[in-house]
Amino acid sequence: MGEFRDRWTAVGLEHQVEPGSSNPAIVDGHPLAIWRGENGQPNIWHDRCPHRGMRLSFGFVRGDTLRCIYHGWGYESGGQCVSIPAHPELTPPKTICAKVYPATTRYGILWTNLADEPSSPLPDLGPEEGWHPLRSLYVNCPAETTADRLRGADCGVPDAKAGNGGDGIATIETGSGLTLLIAIQAVGADKAGLHVVARGEDARASGQRLELARKMQRLRCALEAQ
Amino acid sequence: MAVTTDQVVLNEWVACGWHGQVPMGQSYDTVIFGQEICVSRKGAEEYEVAVIEENGATGRTLPVQVRYTCIFTTLGNPTRPLPVIAEFDEDDRRIIGCGSVGVRTSPYRIIENFLDMAHFSFVHTNVLGAPDQTEVLAYKTEHRKDVDEIWALDCKFYQPAASTASAGGQMTDYVYRVMSPFSVMLYKNVFGDPARNDAICLFVQPMAETECLAYMPMALVDEISTPEGIIDFQQGIFLQDRIILENQRPTLLPLDPTIELPTRADASSIAFRRWLKAMNLQFGIYEKQAA
Repeated sequence: MGEFRDRWTAVGLEHQVEPGSSNPAIVDGHPLAIWRGENGQPNIWHDRCPHRGMRLSFGFVRGDTLRCIYHGWGYESGGQCVSIPAHPELTPPKTICAKVYPATTRYGILWTNLADEPSSPLPDLGPEEGWHPLRSLYVNCPAETTADRLRGADCGVPDAKAGNGGDGIATIETGSGLTLLIAIQAVGADKAGLHVVARGEDARASGQRLELARKMQRLRCALEAQ
Repeated sequence: MAVTTDQVVLNEWVACGWHGQVPMGQSYDTVIFGQEICVSRKGAEEYEVAVIEENGATGRTLPVQVRYTCIFTTLGNPTRPLPVIAEFDEDDRRIIGCGSVGVRTSPYRIIENFLDMAHFSFVHTNVLGAPDQTEVLAYKTEHRKDVDEIWALDCKFYQPAASTASAGGQMTDYVYRVMSPFSVMLYKNVFGDPARNDAICLFVQPMAETECLAYMPMALVDEISTPEGIIDFQQGIFLQDRIILENQRPTLLPLDPTIELPTRADASSIAFRRWLKAMNLQFGIYEKQAA
C-alpha cells in the first residue's frame, strides 16, 4: 500500500510501557497497540485483531503473548496467532497474523517505522548513554509546525537555544550543558505528541528532572497559542 | 445526514422505539436509515409514525406494528413480515423489554456479536462463560429458504451463571435464529426445566450506518426474579458487549473473508455474512478500497 513514509517516529517513552501491558497510540491517524511481554521486549502492532477487527490495545498479556480481549486469541512477538481458545486442540493457520511494525528503543524513546520496507536509519544524536526520560506531552498542534514553533518557545530553562535534530526531532540546549531532546509524534492532522528526554548535569537528580518535566508544560501554551 | 438509497434495507421492518417509551398523547423524534421520523402514541397500544421532511414539516405516514414490546416501522415495501415468535404469546411467560442501548457501530456487528459464543469466557467472564472452559463445540448452521432465515442449531456452551434464575453452572443449549439483517433471537434452555426455552431477542434500529439503538425483549420462564433484576442482568451483559462493539475496526462490516479471518466457531457469522452478501445490501457494509 505504501501509504507511510520511510521514517522513524517516536511513539512514547520506553519506560512508560509496563511489562505485561498493551497500550494504544496513533501515528498519522493509524492506530497502534504497544505491548510488552514478560521478557521485556516491546512490540508495536497495528491496533487490530485479524479475526474480528477488535483493537489489540484492549488486549491482555500472558507471558510473552498478547491476547485479544474479544475471543482470547493469543499472538506471539512476530505477530503469529498461536492460540484460539474456542478450539484448544487447533493449531492456528499461519495466515492468521497480526500486522507487526519494528519497535526500537534509543535515548529512552520508543521508535517505530510504518513503511512497508523500512530502510532509513534511526535518528542519531550521538551516544545512547546519559539520557533520562522527562515526560510525554500531547498538544493540539500539527506535527509539521511543532519543530518550528519550538524554536521560539519558552520552556522556562535559562539560556535555552533551540536546534534541529532532524526529521521529527527538536533539541534545546542551555549554557549549563543541559540538552533536551524532543521527539515529535504526528498523531493526527492537528495533534502531536512530544516525547522529551534530557542529558547533562542539570538532569542528573530525580528532583531536577521532575522540575524540568513540570516546565515542559509551558510548551503546550507556546505551541497551542499560535 | 443523508437517507440511504439502499432499497434492500429500506424494505425491511425495523424497530424505532419500545412500547411505553412515551405516555399517551406524546411523541418523539428518532432516525432510521438517516431519515428523521416522528413516533406519536395515539392510544394505549396505538402508534403513528411519520416522516419528518427536511424543512421540518410532517411528511408521509409509515406502516407501524407494535409487537414483542417494540414499535416497528418501514420506509419501503417489506418483502418479509415481522417474524413469528410464539413464546411471546404463551400465558405464563415473563415478557420484559429492556429499553434501548445506543451503540456506535454497524448494525450487523451487533447481530453478529449476539450470535457469537466464543466471546462468553472473555467478555462475560464467570457469567456466560468460564475462563477455563472456552471451547466452542461443533454446531450446525442452515439457511431456511422458506422463511429466508439463518439458524444455528445444536449450540452448547458451559455457563457459570446463564441467567438470573440460575443456581449454578450448566451446559447451556442454544438455538440462534436470524430473522432479518436487523433482528436476531436465541432460545436457551431454562434452568431446572429441560422442556422449555427462554426466548431472547435483539432488534436493531439502524439510525445511520454506524449508529444504532439496540432493543432486547425477552419471553422468559422465570417465576422468581424481579423485572429489575432481569433488566439489570441483561443490560449489564450488553454494556460489556458494547465496549467490544465500539472498538472493532472497521466499524462497517466487511463481507470479504480475507479482511477478517474466521475459525470454525464462527460458522454462524460466516453463514450470516454470506446471506448478507447474497442480499446485495450496501448500507453499513465495508467496501474494500481499490489498491
